[in-house]
Amino acid sequence: MVLRGSLLLWIAGWMVAAFLWAPLVPVLGETTRVLYFHIPVAWVTVFALAWSMVHSLLYLRRRNMEHDHHAMAAAEIGLLFCVAATVSGSLWAKAMWGSYWNWDPRETSIFFLLLVYAAYLALRGAIDQDERRARLSAVYSATAFVAVPFLMFVVPRIYFTLHPDPLINPRGKIDMDPRIRVVFFALLAGFTALYFWILSVRVRVARLERRSQEA
Amino acid sequence: MVGNAVVMGVSLLVWGLLFYYLVRLERRVSELEKK
Repeated sequence: MVLRGSLLLWIAGWMVAAFLWAPLVPVLGETTRVLYFHIPVAWVTVFALAWSMVHSLLYLRRRNMEHDHHAMAAAEIGLLFCVAATVSGSLWAKAMWGSYWNWDPRETSIFFLLLVYAAYLALRGAIDQDERRARLSAVYSATAFVAVPFLMFVVPRIYFTLHPDPLINPRGKIDMDPRIRVVFFALLAGFTALYFWILSVRVRVARLERRSQEA
Repeated sequence: MVGNAVVMGVSLLVWGLLFYYLVRLERRVSELEKK
């Protein structure tokens, strides 16, 4: 409880710092603040989907239901954060490009990602038998993740995009004001911790549901 | 002004949904533990 409270205070505190302490990026102006939410949320999306893929492969190898719980929970949370990244990106697009949705390569990619992982949850919902559901969804999740680096990192680099350059530029450096960098990485850590909190609760629910079914 | 209200509204909605999801999970855990 103390840890959870501290995490919420950590996120809230650094959000306040983003408004009152960190300077604005000249090109972005007031919309700079979206950066502290949008990028951590997009990072958690990719991290969660990678977590789901790793546990899917582990399930296929070991046939341990614990891995299935992790794969399912991570995909569900990844989808949730993907929605948050889409919404925050859309608001940012309105402010910077004048329209909520432009079918920019980044926007199109995230839209496909939403569809791919919504289909994963639909697949899980359609199968009653535990072992069969775990096996089929593990194959789906492991295969679906192949699309993630392609959609998130390759497509936006092939086609012209309005989206800004990635955080780490082609020279391998992070061009950020030191105060922006501190707030940004503090929030990146905070959102990653939030992901692990939600994951632990979701896995616990899945474990308890399974036990109650067996009883 | 309208833009600020939209951003504030959508942000609150996203955070609200995230916390609703967490609260729902916590409630489900306590229900299942009672069983």
